[in-house]
Amino acid sequence: MSTFAFFQALQNSEIAVGIGQSNHLYGVVAQVFHITGMVLILASVLVVNLRLLGAGLVNQSVPQLVKATNPLIWIGLLFILFSGIFMFAPSAALYYPNPAFWLKFQLLALAIVVQFTLYRKITATKKPNRALAITTAIISLALWFGVGIAGRAIGYVAA
Amino acid sequence: MTPTDFLQKLQDSTLGVALSESIYMYPIVEGLHLISLVFSFGLILLTDLRLIGLFLPAVPVPDVLQKLRPWLISGFVVTFITGFLLIFVNGPTLMNTWVFPLKLLLILIAGLNAVWFEIKFGRRVNEWGHQVKSPQGAKIAGWISLTTWTLVVICGRLIPYLNGH
Repeated sequence: MSTFAFFQALQNSEIAVGIGQSNHLYGVVAQVFHITGMVLILASVLVVNLRLLGAGLVNQSVPQLVKATNPLIWIGLLFILFSGIFMFAPSAALYYPNPAFWLKFQLLALAIVVQFTLYRKITATKKPNRALAITTAIISLALWFGVGIAGRAIGYVAA
Repeated sequence: MTPTDFLQKLQDSTLGVALSESIYMYPIVEGLHLISLVFSFGLILLTDLRLIGLFLPAVPVPDVLQKLRPWLISGFVVTFITGFLLIFVNGPTLMNTWVFPLKLLLILIAGLNAVWFEIKFGRRVNEWGHQVKSPQGAKIAGWISLTTWTLVVICGRLIPYLNGH
């Protein structure tokens, strides 16, 4: 099955049709959870990356900040995943031709890869190499904020 | 002059027209408004969670407040400036729904809460901020802040659905 066919099948599924026909205010609830999830993830990643850059909560160690923000990142991911599926499913096939949609998910894939490799490695060290810390922070922030910007662009970019 | 008239004047102004006529300005301004929420809404959530005792409870409150403050303030500056610009562009339709005045009222309440916290607790934070538990009033301010700013975001998201667009 091609990707497009899969998107169409998803859009035509009973659940997706049900969501699509529901009161539009449910969509608003989904969007609010999506925004809140994004803010939780990004604020957490921001605090840790600022620390890697030598700014913000400088009296705390990087591992300490990672430990404190991890629960917030998980909650944010939960919010964003469920609300994202809720918003995506009823219009899946409509998103297919949207370049901003694909850009967002490519950036997201990169952000997640960096999060579990470079970011995880650098933040586990109590005194990471300065240049590596700064590089990691820049890449992590650029990718995550890129996801947010691309995500917002989806609504603006004509398919 | 009614609020609607005032908003019409803003929309008809040079700035309002320039913003409305540009293809890119609205997405840029709104996008910046949303992204800045990470710095304003996000960092205030972390600050409130610290006051409540749920985030970095072992770290002294003054540490969290003072170190995050410049980022928090900058975040709010960008959120407010972009917010004002959005008012210019959206104009009188904002008054088609009660959600917009409610949003402004909630922002005022959040602001008053912040001022109250600052006067009553913030200035003396070094006296109480090193204990394990924050004073009850500080915790309450944290909860009020968290709740009102979340409601502000919800109202903001509701505007385009209820203003007749």
